[in-house]
Amino acid sequence: MAKHGKVAITVCSTAFLTLGRAQARALGIADLPIAVIPHPFGGRRREEIRRIADQCADDIVQLVTGAG
Amino acid sequence: MSAPATDRAATFEAPDDLDAINRLSRERRWSDGLPVVPPTAARVERMLAHARRGRHDAVARLAPGFGVATVERIAINAVLAGCDPEYLPVLIAATAAVADPAFNLQAIQATTNPVAVWLIVNGPLAQQLRINASFNCIGQGAWANATLGRALRLILQNIGGALPGEMDRATHGQPGKYTFCCAENEVRHPWQPLHVERGFAAADSTVTVVGAEGTMNMNTHAKTADELARVIAETMIHPPSNEYVHGGEPWFILGSEHAEIFRRAGLDKNAVKHALWALSKMPVKRLSSNEIERARASRTPELGELADDTLLPISPRAEDIQLIVAGGPGTHSVYVPCFGNSRAVTRRIAV
Repeated sequence: MAKHGKVAITVCSTAFLTLGRAQARALGIADLPIAVIPHPFGGRRREEIRRIADQCADDIVQLVTGAG
Repeated sequence: MSAPATDRAATFEAPDDLDAINRLSRERRWSDGLPVVPPTAARVERMLAHARRGRHDAVARLAPGFGVATVERIAINAVLAGCDPEYLPVLIAATAAVADPAFNLQAIQATTNPVAVWLIVNGPLAQQLRINASFNCIGQGAWANATLGRALRLILQNIGGALPGEMDRATHGQPGKYTFCCAENEVRHPWQPLHVERGFAAADSTVTVVGAEGTMNMNTHAKTADELARVIAETMIHPPSNEYVHGGEPWFILGSEHAEIFRRAGLDKNAVKHALWALSKMPVKRLSSNEIERARASRTPELGELADDTLLPISPRAEDIQLIVAGGPGTHSVYVPCFGNSRAVTRRIAV
């Protein structure tokens, strides 16, 4: 999608950030914006997930708008 | 299809010295951690003489780096691993097989799971290449088994880009990630061999790729089919299992003595699968609470609401259980638990 000029954001957990960066480079989109969430993601309580999602949403807005 | 020039192998001058070339291999991470055979132009040419297709033909793109696996690049990795040139067609077919969407290579290469790719070779080529199907068939000692499995690992790492700690995110990995290859023992076999079961002719040669989590030996002197099926099924039942969570495709290497016990009891391969499937159902409550949630996410469409006492089958259908017969004499068989979100793929080897 990024190659077609669309705004594209990847969300991944800290344990997979290296993979995300390496795969983006391999696919020719080294500057792909990646929003990072804590690892592990599974098994968290609902309120924790909500807090992570709120933070992630803010991060995505910043990545899209270039703010911050 | 011929790969564009940008996807073709580069050549460069290197000292005519094994130690220097292995230092280079370590620096550039071309190896699995063991010394390699220098992929000189002459060695690669000898390998390519057995390709039966163009050196620049693109066989597949390999996740997660999506490098193009040309015939030439496959041949270079085969040389690095120490393969005989006659082995190349097996690796070309295996490379095409791992790229089949059913195999789910992206997940297999990038997961935290220890999954390795197990190669099973069937048909006349297995004997011609002396791929071991007997004593110690998944152990050490046979050149073809050792170097074919190793070559596929190098293809996955060097062309697919799955370097440990980078795109290969395995928490521990497993020894099978160095090499994992055998043939099926079609001589001491009471049923149809794997490739015939999968729709190929007995005279065809095939390679099957399996996403294997590891191996669990089962030494049992059980002498009746009922007892043998029961103890194998009890080995399958383990709560921290991707197979029960996702509905998998468990594999077994039956020793010929165990296979013979089933045959004498009048069970064909399909009957053994059904017996193991029925006996290995696990109550949902044996899973951890998080695994129960994961199983609900994966398997509710297949099984409906999962209650604590729901009996969870290891795979959606009994026919998903896969059996080969291999190994030497002895009261051993091997359970090969699998990745779960993957299905084995078989390809005919062009020879």
